[in-house]
Amino acid sequence: MIRFAAVALVACAAQAAPGEDPLAWLQRAAQAARGVSYAGTFVHTNGDHTSTVRITHAMVGNDEHERIEPLDGPAYEIVRKNDEMFCYFPDAKTVRLDRRVTARFFPTILSGTPTAVAASYEVKLGPTERVLGYECRWIRLEPRDAMRHAQSVCSEVQTGLTLRARTLNDKRQPVEHYTFTDLKIGPQVARPDMKSIFEARVKRWISDSQPREETKTVDTGWTVTNAPAGFFKVAELRRTLPGREHPVSQLIYSDGLASMSVFVEPNKPARAAEASSEDGATTFFVRPMGETLVSVLGEVPIATAQQAARSVARRP
Amino acid sequence: MTQELSSLMDGELAAGEAQRAIATCCGSEEAKVDWHLYHVIGDVMRGHSPRSLALPNDVVEALKAQPTVLAPRRLPQTTFARVAIAAAASVATVGVVGWIGTQGTREDTAPMAARSNSAIQPVANTVTLPQGAQAPDVQAYLNAHRQLPSPEQYRTVNNRAATAATR
Repeated sequence: MIRFAAVALVACAAQAAPGEDPLAWLQRAAQAARGVSYAGTFVHTNGDHTSTVRITHAMVGNDEHERIEPLDGPAYEIVRKNDEMFCYFPDAKTVRLDRRVTARFFPTILSGTPTAVAASYEVKLGPTERVLGYECRWIRLEPRDAMRHAQSVCSEVQTGLTLRARTLNDKRQPVEHYTFTDLKIGPQVARPDMKSIFEARVKRWISDSQPREETKTVDTGWTVTNAPAGFFKVAELRRTLPGREHPVSQLIYSDGLASMSVFVEPNKPARAAEASSEDGATTFFVRPMGETLVSVLGEVPIATAQQAARSVARRP
Repeated sequence: MTQELSSLMDGELAAGEAQRAIATCCGSEEAKVDWHLYHVIGDVMRGHSPRSLALPNDVVEALKAQPTVLAPRRLPQTTFARVAIAAAASVATVGVVGWIGTQGTREDTAPMAARSNSAIQPVANTVTLPQGAQAPDVQAYLNAHRQLPSPEQYRTVNNRAATAATR
């Protein structure tokens, strides 16, 4: 009886909603994206672009398994075990071994700790809503300055899993939106579901592990001397981009929630002028620096991208 | 003479005229070449292969005198390249394909799209893009930033795959 009570207590503790502490809710949402098993379909809208993705996620022992299958356009599939990603391209009969650099796939929202996020955002609790048949609590992340967008995530009350997320611009208009359209939460998500549907055929495919090598952190020789407040470098890579003769340096900066990539490469063909564009929550800013071209892309306001791009320098 | 030959070929000449035209034709090397050429042209126009590959000597000689053009052969587009283009389009549904390329074409879409400044624009106090300057390849940056697999990177790998498949 005592043992039963103890088990029940543990189960309740694992599932209980964390009261009215916004940071505890944020912490639980971050943990749930990794620790909870779920299978469903979500829709991502950024600006006027929409895509649909099927996702299956399970924890097996201490290993995180995930299968991501975009449902629009030609088929491809990502099967992930912890940070190892296998990208299957059935038409090209190619499987590419990649490494996840930062946790960036919905429903993973945070890449930093809740405390780090709280330094740049005021975290508040919003109302509870019914979403996809689940009770869901809104967590609001209001930026403490103009260097980042406001975000809201809807955290399922029982497990903490994020069911919806939206990004607002400085005019409080929604610019990016994620939402599950169907979802099953719980251990019924079996490990066989994590295997690629192409698994049986893959032995005859070409395997390419170069991308994995490219995601190793290196010293590119470049740095951002005046990174926008709250943004810290989380990765530094040298990668091959399509159509580029030379490798491109990529420095990823994050404030724990939003992130941006700073790309540095030879300025060929030479561009002379700075230019920028915005689409949904995504901003792009390009800055020629003599023989070097700096480009910043991220889910940040344009001023943030500009500040980063304009302070790129050779590491002393 | 040319008109007579042409008419003879078309069977438009009366018996006497035809006899005269044939006699003229057979008596002149130049007329024989023309006769041959008219038939070759007629065959080609009717979609038949020419009855004889032998061309009049001067045509052959003229062809021989032409310089040989050495030009790089365009490589056939591989399956991969096609897949890559298609897959890139797929990835773009998550991203911003045509972000720059379609500038100015989305003003009549949703209000949100109209509000979003989707066209590439020179930033204040900077000069405009030079004539002919290429817009940067935003999609490649976007894929790298979002850690989406970029199938275009497989081209070299797929060449190996194609080679292996033909063995």
